[in-house]
Amino acid sequence: MKESWVSLPTIYVPMAGIPILLFLYTISVLSGLQLISKIFLTLSMVGLLVFGVSGFRDVYIGSLLKKSTELKRTLKANKEEGQSNIKPTSTGAKLIKFNVKRFNPETQRLEESIYNVETDAFSNVLDGLLKIKAETDPTLSMRYSCRMGICGSCGMVINGKPSLACENNVWENAKNGEISIAPMLGHPLLKDLVTDFDDFFEKHLFVNPYLFRNDLNEKYHPTKQYEQTKEELDKFLPFSYCIMCGLCVDACPVVNTNPEFIGPQALSQAYRYYADSRDEAGEARLEHLDLLKGVWDCEFAASCSDVCPKGVDPAFAIQLLKTEIIKNDLSRNKDIKS
Amino acid sequence: MFIFNIGYSFYMEILDFDLIILGSGIAGLTAAIHATNASKGQIKIAIVTKLHAMRSHSVSAEGGISGVLYPDETHDSTELHAYDTIKGSDYLADQDAVELLVKNAPTEVRFFDHIGVSWNRDDKSKIQQRAFGGMSIPRTAFAADKTGFFMMRALYDEVSNMKNISIFHEHFAYNLLIDKNKFVGLSVLDLATGSSSIFKAKTAIVATGGASRLYSFTTTAHSTTGDGIALVYKAGLPLKDMEFVQFHPTALVPNGILITEAARGEGGYLLNSKGERFMEKYAKSKMELAPRDIVSRAIITEMKAGNGFKHEESGLGYVNLDLRHLGEKTINERLPMIKEIAQKSIDLDPIKDLLPIRPAAHFTMGGINTDIFGRVLSDENKTPVNGLWAIGECGCVSVHGSNRLGSNSLSQCSVWGRLAGNAVAKYLELNKSFINISKDVVSSEERTIVELLDRKGNTNPYFIKSELQKTMDENLYVYRNKEDMLKARRHIADLKNAFKDIYIQDKGKVFNTNLRDVLEIENLLELAEAVTICAINRKESRGAHAVVEYPNRDDTNWLKHTVIYKTNNGTGISYSPVKITSWKPEPRVY
Repeated sequence: MKESWVSLPTIYVPMAGIPILLFLYTISVLSGLQLISKIFLTLSMVGLLVFGVSGFRDVYIGSLLKKSTELKRTLKANKEEGQSNIKPTSTGAKLIKFNVKRFNPETQRLEESIYNVETDAFSNVLDGLLKIKAETDPTLSMRYSCRMGICGSCGMVINGKPSLACENNVWENAKNGEISIAPMLGHPLLKDLVTDFDDFFEKHLFVNPYLFRNDLNEKYHPTKQYEQTKEELDKFLPFSYCIMCGLCVDACPVVNTNPEFIGPQALSQAYRYYADSRDEAGEARLEHLDLLKGVWDCEFAASCSDVCPKGVDPAFAIQLLKTEIIKNDLSRNKDIKS
Repeated sequence: MFIFNIGYSFYMEILDFDLIILGSGIAGLTAAIHATNASKGQIKIAIVTKLHAMRSHSVSAEGGISGVLYPDETHDSTELHAYDTIKGSDYLADQDAVELLVKNAPTEVRFFDHIGVSWNRDDKSKIQQRAFGGMSIPRTAFAADKTGFFMMRALYDEVSNMKNISIFHEHFAYNLLIDKNKFVGLSVLDLATGSSSIFKAKTAIVATGGASRLYSFTTTAHSTTGDGIALVYKAGLPLKDMEFVQFHPTALVPNGILITEAARGEGGYLLNSKGERFMEKYAKSKMELAPRDIVSRAIITEMKAGNGFKHEESGLGYVNLDLRHLGEKTINERLPMIKEIAQKSIDLDPIKDLLPIRPAAHFTMGGINTDIFGRVLSDENKTPVNGLWAIGECGCVSVHGSNRLGSNSLSQCSVWGRLAGNAVAKYLELNKSFINISKDVVSSEERTIVELLDRKGNTNPYFIKSELQKTMDENLYVYRNKEDMLKARRHIADLKNAFKDIYIQDKGKVFNTNLRDVLEIENLLELAEAVTICAINRKESRGAHAVVEYPNRDDTNWLKHTVIYKTNNGTGISYSPVKITSWKPEPRVY
């Protein structure tokens, strides 16, 4: 724990610089002072350049990763300590109280329904909800499909944390025999636990999430394979695990206050395609995202990465995009000068 | 999607398209891409899916996709791939269809490389291939153990970029309209608004996947209720080989989640309660990598002989899958998802623990009767229905015969996705007119949903569903016997009667999943009946259909496809021959 206290200033001091930098940069752009803004940007980046861009990455992301690894370790330790009584080895059934917040489309309000559900050591939250629907209340609506954490349907808020219902064991999550369930309020609500994804999908589309190739004939009528080394694969692989469940957007404090922001899911996918060595869109992708509502609205709260059930780390992806955009901008400035 | 916000009691909207693709799995989305390309973006396509398009069950495919990629280096050939597939099918596959599959599969693996799938690669940047059951050479390309997921995401991203394609997420098709042997349209319920509309089109491709939710212990998603197969069947068109349901040998106990065959492909063992690798007794040369029908039968035989374990909470019998000797590196690199699933769902770690597994319903080898190009046939004489295709798991081309080899399904979906997409584009060049839909049809379609909601019965539809699944689990599992199958048939008839008395408690319009579930249960009842009748009818053991009374394959009488169709007073059965090109049936030994 001590170490993480030490690393706090390392994270937050340079982080505080970013919004100030951006604010000044935005003002100079808005006032049309393009040249000044570029010079200003170049000068203000000196501090970061001392580290070199990779150093910048190491300081920011290294501490972020360290922090999250430590957090995970602590969580795991806590889990192991208090787990002896809930480890699914005990037999028999338990009655668990499900407090379900439901959105009523007619009254446009959230209403709470309470159900007592018989669960066993292996029941996950989705099992519990399906049992309610089949045996007690057929009017309860939720999305679900694969029940193995890969289709991304059953995102909801379980005990206050955006989670996948099918990946969360009831007994492990129940507190004093109760579990609270609510829809993702960060998305428009449709009915009960079902939310509207139209806006979410549109934002995903905004980043042009597909592999861009110049030779369309080869793309659709393949005769060979594209070259890609293991190292190149590793650059985008972690970001390609996104199941589009919407949990990160639900958790993002920026999207929740500023719906214009493209958000963590779409941006992580933008980086996924940008970092893929097979993609030929290049810096056009960066220019497309060099907007306030693009990468720059991200305040690096990193709650997206905290809730992501697949370990995608959208916060990391967005910071990498910012770095790439700045790098790209700097190199273009060099071109202009020469 | 709030575009069609029209209530039940008003006029029902009719939308026009050139092509409707029903279902958004790998087959459907691939077809959409190739139909678009073949027509240079000129045809107007609707993808109608009851889920969000990227959430189709194809995402759950784990192990990989088969295809001969580097014949020179691996000494593999398409002929060998074809032979493996045909032998695996217990000689019921149509061999011309198999040839089409193996010839086109390598192109499809490269196509997925071109749209962004992150294939596992070796040090020379070559796509790696792993061993799979029944394949004589490792020829399964893979992206860790999330192959289907990566393919789906790449396809969805590619499709959503195409301007001529509209995706209708969460739209449930409840009726297929056919007039004079030509496809006319679909009646579709928009789940978000509860309003119905008619989607009229010149052509349609049904790609709705299988029906493994006929069983409660299954590897497949809650959504795999075979709706497309049932739609076609209810419209009076025939189904083929419905008795062949694949049971995947290694589904996790107690939840049925799939542990990919790749776990055995990478070297995993199956152990009985005595700690023996029992597959030695059943398939000496292939051991755990024998085809799925053989491994599933072996597991059941072991458990019946008292060499299994019993899971306390669920009461399910099981044997163990041992992956511990593969080591942490292999498991993390090549099987990360099954590790994650085992940890999250039953708190076991395959690096340290044995995994409890038993066979579970996994794949529908049968399905909509089609020719080898995926065109839906209206009878056993190969008369095609104009403008209607069925591809992927819901169609029976028949490339898998009585038992599919692992990793051939993803190739099947992509190969026939391309073939059907191209074929539709060609068909539309010659057939430019719609068939008009009469007012009577529109009003009767409109009434369907209203009447269903107004029904004043007493029976809980979910009770019917669980009874149906229980019957199928008990009576039409890996080994079948006459008495059980007849019992199942009687029970299903009772349940069909009980269904007339169901009650839909949710009367709301917005996202009424109670209503959707009832529509699905109706489809399941139809398909359960078809499976049972076909199974009772086939008096031999072949591939996935193992009958205690008839333990042997009977090529003299049963080397033929079962074709089942609805008649005015029940069902009729006829047969169509198996197409044999180069590979004569021989005893199947592994």
